[in-house]
Amino acid sequence: MRTFILRRLIYAIPTLIGVSIITFAIVRLSPGDPIRLYTFGARDITNEDIEALRRVYGLDKAMPLQYIDWLSRVVRLDFGQSFIYHKDAGSLILEILPNTLQLAVVSLVLQILIGVPLGVVAALKRGSWVDGLVRVFGVAGHAIPAFWLGLVLIIVFAVQLRLLPSQGMLTVGRDQWDLFDRLKHMLLPAFVLSLTGIANYSRILRTETLDVLGQDFVRTAHAKGLHERTVVFVHALRNALIPVVTALGGILAALVGGALVVETVFSWPGIGRFTFAAAIAKDYPIIQAGTMIASVLLVVSYLLRDIAYAVVDPRIKVR
Amino acid sequence: MTMTQARTRRALMAVFAASVLVATACGQGGPSASQEPAASASAAASEKPQDGGRVIEATISDIATMQPILVNDTASGRVTGLLYDVLIQVDAKTGEPKPNLATFSVSQDGLTYTFEINAKANWSDGKPVIAQDYLTGVQAVGKSAKTVRKSSYQDVQGFNDYKDGKAQTIEGIKIDSSNPKKFTVTMAKVSCPALLDIANTYRILPTHVFGKYLTATSKPEDIDNAPENTNPQVVDGPFTFSEWRKGDQVILKKNPNYWNGAPHLDEYVYKVVANTAAVTAGLKTGEITFGTIAARDLADMQTVDSVKITKYPSLGYTFIGWDTQSNVAGVALADKRVRQALAYGLDMDAVIKAVVFNEAVAHVAHHVAVQWAYPQDTSALNPYKFDKAKAQSLLTEAGWVKGADGILAKDGKKFTLTISTNSGNTERETLAQVAADQYKQLGIDAKAAPEAFQGLVTKLTSGDKTLDATIIGWSLGSEPDPYQIWHSSQIPDPAKNVTGFGFTYFKDPAMDKAIEEGRNPSNGDCSLAARRKNYDTFNKVLNEQQPYNFGYVPNVLAVSSKTLQNFNPAPFSTVYNVQDWWIKK
Repeated sequence: MRTFILRRLIYAIPTLIGVSIITFAIVRLSPGDPIRLYTFGARDITNEDIEALRRVYGLDKAMPLQYIDWLSRVVRLDFGQSFIYHKDAGSLILEILPNTLQLAVVSLVLQILIGVPLGVVAALKRGSWVDGLVRVFGVAGHAIPAFWLGLVLIIVFAVQLRLLPSQGMLTVGRDQWDLFDRLKHMLLPAFVLSLTGIANYSRILRTETLDVLGQDFVRTAHAKGLHERTVVFVHALRNALIPVVTALGGILAALVGGALVVETVFSWPGIGRFTFAAAIAKDYPIIQAGTMIASVLLVVSYLLRDIAYAVVDPRIKVR
Repeated sequence: MTMTQARTRRALMAVFAASVLVATACGQGGPSASQEPAASASAAASEKPQDGGRVIEATISDIATMQPILVNDTASGRVTGLLYDVLIQVDAKTGEPKPNLATFSVSQDGLTYTFEINAKANWSDGKPVIAQDYLTGVQAVGKSAKTVRKSSYQDVQGFNDYKDGKAQTIEGIKIDSSNPKKFTVTMAKVSCPALLDIANTYRILPTHVFGKYLTATSKPEDIDNAPENTNPQVVDGPFTFSEWRKGDQVILKKNPNYWNGAPHLDEYVYKVVANTAAVTAGLKTGEITFGTIAARDLADMQTVDSVKITKYPSLGYTFIGWDTQSNVAGVALADKRVRQALAYGLDMDAVIKAVVFNEAVAHVAHHVAVQWAYPQDTSALNPYKFDKAKAQSLLTEAGWVKGADGILAKDGKKFTLTISTNSGNTERETLAQVAADQYKQLGIDAKAAPEAFQGLVTKLTSGDKTLDATIIGWSLGSEPDPYQIWHSSQIPDPAKNVTGFGFTYFKDPAMDKAIEEGRNPSNGDCSLAARRKNYDTFNKVLNEQQPYNFGYVPNVLAVSSKTLQNFNPAPFSTVYNVQDWWIKK
């Protein structure tokens, strides 16, 4: 197991370098000059001042040299200074990332807590109205655009009913550790963010459970006289969960990456809006740091998935 | 002045709505206390203000810094301006300079400014604000590698030597030996914008905090990366700093020892929201105390009982800039008659109705009506009332006649015109579309082409000639000097590596002269009356020549909770009387 993890981490290095080269090239080749953007408000700024700024940020060098500079600093975990915030880009990202992670984790939990039972129930009650409802939801959950649903929920629950806040992470003036207040703010965005996942899991679980229920080992279990509940939850479900684990790999990264729309609709101060804003301003160090950290998240979540395989499916051995 | 992208940056952040690209022109303006009771306080004045409460202002961009010398965007300018006071303020309604933290006078020759800081002015830790603190601010700009404000002091005697490391002191700044609150600033040449450049600024730093980053051996990073830049504990404005939750909010507390009278409010929260939709939702639910909304949300907001709507003209305008040397349409646009035809041929009233729901005023010159530099005799300006027949006759006069396909042509070349604007800004995209439709009716093969703002900016300033026409906006500052936009030296020239905002390539000797005289008058007279004369000439040339279709001046729509009293935002400042605001419980 240890060699397996180690080997996977070593394999990740070329992936990360590839990602870094691609983002590095894309952000620099796309039109727009960050120093021009940054100096816009400045009255009477001279071309010499602008050139001096370019030197300060190392943008006067050839692109490959800039990349080597960047890489040599990144291996020491120095992502460079944000053009806009005048602070270390990596620490800025790490400061904001938890805001998105808490949202992602809560919606992941919602996805599993709601999606898995829905799928199992639909399979056990195949053909019933419950099954029909879950299947309709499985399609609708995918089809409803998150920004639209978010806006509707805000109008209904915040503006009309005044039950929940319309935006942000905390009521202004509340303590950062007021968990109840935070949860109230999280409810709508986490639900919207988890909707696709719920639809996904209920659909996968329904199909898989039906499939597994028809297999020999389940019939054997029944024949042994095991209780129905034991058969479903101990024997069938464990097998049905394997594809869910597959879908889980990358889900964390997808949630973090996919949070931009939800963060925007609910004014959630997360990493999606933060890096998006940086991209608009062409704040290279933040864009680079954001992409690298997201890539690391992705690599790690795939690794966790593979480990999880071994746990749910004894037939799979990691080497 | 600043090019505005209409929502989106923080100048960053944009996309969903519009945002303003960088911001405060010149970092001027800050809060600045009003010396007189707020004019419109009349209604509320009869009530006794109650102390306490909190105001929550909505912003679409987060702040970037609270270091005065590094501020270069609207959001940071707002917060830094509430923390650090300005020496000289401008009147919130007229933009005319007036005393604030200091009184000032100018010598006969126009070269020396004398300032005396208010005797009551103290830093929040109790130490007095002194002339040395002003010098510290200027030295910080000189030392910093990241500031964009060096040009503000370029005409101060000895500043350039200090900046280049050739001198350890700034010769032009002299502190009175008998009064530590009094000092003079001597300029190398008469420069009218200098007063606001050097004094309508909050770049006055507590020497006992920042002095250690500005010694003879200090490096630029010392001041640029100082921890106090994001955690300023010693300030002299109406509020003190409490907390900055990145991407979310900045929390300020009242400064009970503010020299101009402590604010009634306990707390000022600058809350970051994602877009104008969130601003309107927050205003309805009461999660936000005040903010500005988009014109399209006005009708909706008018149905909400709990808010007050204040409208005032913005300090800027949205325009269509004609590239008179463009590869495609340059031949046509170089002709004054064609540009005038494009002014007569666009029904601006209809445009304003379609694009900003009537919340704007048509504009025909550079300076906007609220600036003192705007011509007092507006009859000198041609209003270019919509007149299709006149537009057509001007085009014919210029040699453009319709061919069999109905398209104007001259010497076998068709009049095609692409109107570009920054994509994602729905207001400007609509404007481009409406303008293209109307120009088509004149027989011009016109079309709209949205493009990313960042790319547009680079093309415009670098001398690229692929854009025929571009819709963007200028946000103007308190200082009306138009040199950076309209002087012929600002025309980009890639061959000489010159970049600038002169992307129309239009120049006129009389206009250059008027700009120069309004900036560096040969007789040394920087009075508003003398400068106004030059700007009258300048605006008249532009009005006649139409290098831009000057478009319109949009209204700012400020919406505030009815509980907030004495909130009277004006074109030059929203928070000029912040210490008079109070919350009615």
